[in-house]
Amino acid sequence: MGLTGGMLLVLAIAAAAGSLAAIVWAWPRLARPRPACVAARLAVIVVSQVLVTAAFLIWLNSYFAFYASWGQLAGASVGTQPVAVRQAGTTARLVVIDHSEPGPAQVQRRAEALGAGTEVVPRPGALAAPPTAGRLLQVVIKGERTGLSSGPGYVYLPPQYFRPAYARTRFPVVLALTGYPGQAASIVERLALPSAAARLMAAGRIRPAVFVMLNVSPLFPLDTECTDVPGGPQVESFLAQDVPRAIEQAFRVTASPAGWGALGYSTGGYCAAKLAMMYPDRFSAAVSMAGYYQAIPGEYVPHLWGGSRGYRLENSPDWRLRHLPAPPVSVLATSSWVGEKTLPGTLAFLREIHPPMRGYSLIIRQGGHNFRTWGRELPPSLVWLSRRLS
Amino acid sequence: MGPRGMPLMVLLAVAAAALLAGTLWLWPVLARRGAAFVGLRIALLVALQASVIGAVFVWVNRANEFYVSWSDLLGTSHPAAQVVAVAPGSVRAAAASQASQVTPLASRLVMVPGARPGGRLEPAGRLEKVRLDGPVSGIAATGYVYLPPRYSRARPLPVIVVISGQAGQGAAGYGAPRVAATAAAQIAAGRMPPAIVAVLPPAVAGRASQGCLDSPGGPQAGTFFSQDLPLALVRAYRAMPGPSGWAVLGGPGGGYCALQLATAPSGQFRVAAAAPGTGTAPPGGAAAAGPGLRRQDSVLWRLRHWPAPPVEVLLTGAGGAGQFASLARPPMTVATLGTASPAPGPSPLAAVLDWIGRALASPMAASPGPAGG
Repeated sequence: MGLTGGMLLVLAIAAAAGSLAAIVWAWPRLARPRPACVAARLAVIVVSQVLVTAAFLIWLNSYFAFYASWGQLAGASVGTQPVAVRQAGTTARLVVIDHSEPGPAQVQRRAEALGAGTEVVPRPGALAAPPTAGRLLQVVIKGERTGLSSGPGYVYLPPQYFRPAYARTRFPVVLALTGYPGQAASIVERLALPSAAARLMAAGRIRPAVFVMLNVSPLFPLDTECTDVPGGPQVESFLAQDVPRAIEQAFRVTASPAGWGALGYSTGGYCAAKLAMMYPDRFSAAVSMAGYYQAIPGEYVPHLWGGSRGYRLENSPDWRLRHLPAPPVSVLATSSWVGEKTLPGTLAFLREIHPPMRGYSLIIRQGGHNFRTWGRELPPSLVWLSRRLS
Repeated sequence: MGPRGMPLMVLLAVAAAALLAGTLWLWPVLARRGAAFVGLRIALLVALQASVIGAVFVWVNRANEFYVSWSDLLGTSHPAAQVVAVAPGSVRAAAASQASQVTPLASRLVMVPGARPGGRLEPAGRLEKVRLDGPVSGIAATGYVYLPPRYSRARPLPVIVVISGQAGQGAAGYGAPRVAATAAAQIAAGRMPPAIVAVLPPAVAGRASQGCLDSPGGPQAGTFFSQDLPLALVRAYRAMPGPSGWAVLGGPGGGYCALQLATAPSGQFRVAAAAPGTGTAPPGGAAAAGPGLRRQDSVLWRLRHWPAPPVEVLLTGAGGAGQFASLARPPMTVATLGTASPAPGPSPLAAVLDWIGRALASPMAASPGPAGG
């Protein structure tokens, strides 16, 4: 039974409610003033409490989408199970962007292996059914060079993508990254990035763009901090090179760094800023929501920097600003005056920024490390990003 | 009392303990028949559960810093915040810094023997000596860029990067003038498609650096070759963007660099040529690297442990292809040159350039462009 499936939550709530009902019903039988009866009262209350707490934690996990499966919770390796996505006006279909299998026969076989409703599209120029709200595709991106796989991710194509007037337009791209721990589905369901973007595009406040939404850690539950782990997984190269190349080949998007932006919250914010600073040949702007600016050790990854202090420093945006040339990119850093422990680090990072790099801040009065805060910061951030992408 | 406060957590914990004790104490009283008593049982149990869940929530909220206030949690109204520019500098300044990555220092015509009998020399493109400023690495290097005769900014050309320890030596076999003249002759003879040829020394970051590798916390020579150079040449000469139209050729002292760049996850090159036996990192500079980086600096280690990159490699010169060829797997291909045709025919460099030109023009190197629609 899936950890985030509705079934588990329903069963947990039923068990919790059932235990409470059973206590109320059995109450008189445990009313005798004997120690054994008192112990039994305590025992049934504790059992019921455990069931209620379990139901609460399961609900909390599905709300924040920390862990998508038991395997992830246990720290085991993950498959690429499709995640249910609920959003008005759009449908999620699985698209596998896989350039290692060019032949139509292999593509067909692959689609059959993945099951019904799957669409394997090496060149999805011919996506059907132009909808009014654009299309949300579930994707798995295979890294050509790094060999890594994105796990379940999403691509949102704006309505303009399907209109004849835009048939020759190459759209700008925003790469959106989750925090850690997180699931790409959270960007769709909790941050509601596609709907926020659709609203802003419909209102003419941002220009149409393609949004690619991925887990910041393709090897989740490993916390790789978007780092090329020496002698290990090359996650930074995967996000900064493999993913853009796959998206470029699969969709009608611009190849110029002027049209590529990165956006993320928490660990995803650190990664958005770091990737833009390390790859100005790929990204020209980044939004870091409640990010941090120094490389921190990842969970379950003992040798994130391969035992090299210098390599760790290179992965710190703060250190890069002090010791390497400022890259020609714009970074918007968001935080809260009250409720965010990332505030001092954010202000220190912004102070270090110097030309040709450009820094912007969006600091709200109050807001914790949560999707509601980031959801409030999202519209001004998207407007800012849209002005910087061409 | 905010949703993250210790007072609230203590209050809830105390309430839970009191409710638990009260429930156990009042149990016999509530065991009587009647709807009122059943209702009281339910109320007491629900209050107990709620206080425990509340304490758990505050604990989780404190640990993860989710919600700072009740309005934060309940989503009530907040004043809107503004985006503020915090660093000085205009868009124009940023654009200017990007435009001046290539500074021409000198330029001269490259002459090749004419097609008509008589052997009169004719101009066939030009060779520019340039300073390349890497915006990411901060490295400034002197290099040479050969532009073929029909070069124009309107038609993007492929790029061959020649990394040679003899780059600045006029008479040397892998010096920029000889490389440019050879390329010009091959292009003029139609044996090689027009391409921009950049000739650079391997040690762009000075002698202290470890060749073309990023030294951790130090000179970022690897970044210079894999990011700054493509960025600069694409901007300044409207070269084809990598990796589909990009090749790297390792000359004397540059063989390891070429193979290292060809197998790097940054993947800027589709085609590479180098002498065999240049798979291991040059010594020096490893102290700061740590064991992990040292391991992956070996090209052979990469071939063993990373997915094979989609590159075509030519092992030049005499001698066995050795371990490198034996470790290559598809989609990587390895060809050898030199053993088959000893002396007659074109010079070794010309043969290598021909091969690179053909590889760049081959379908594998061509990037599948996105379909319309």
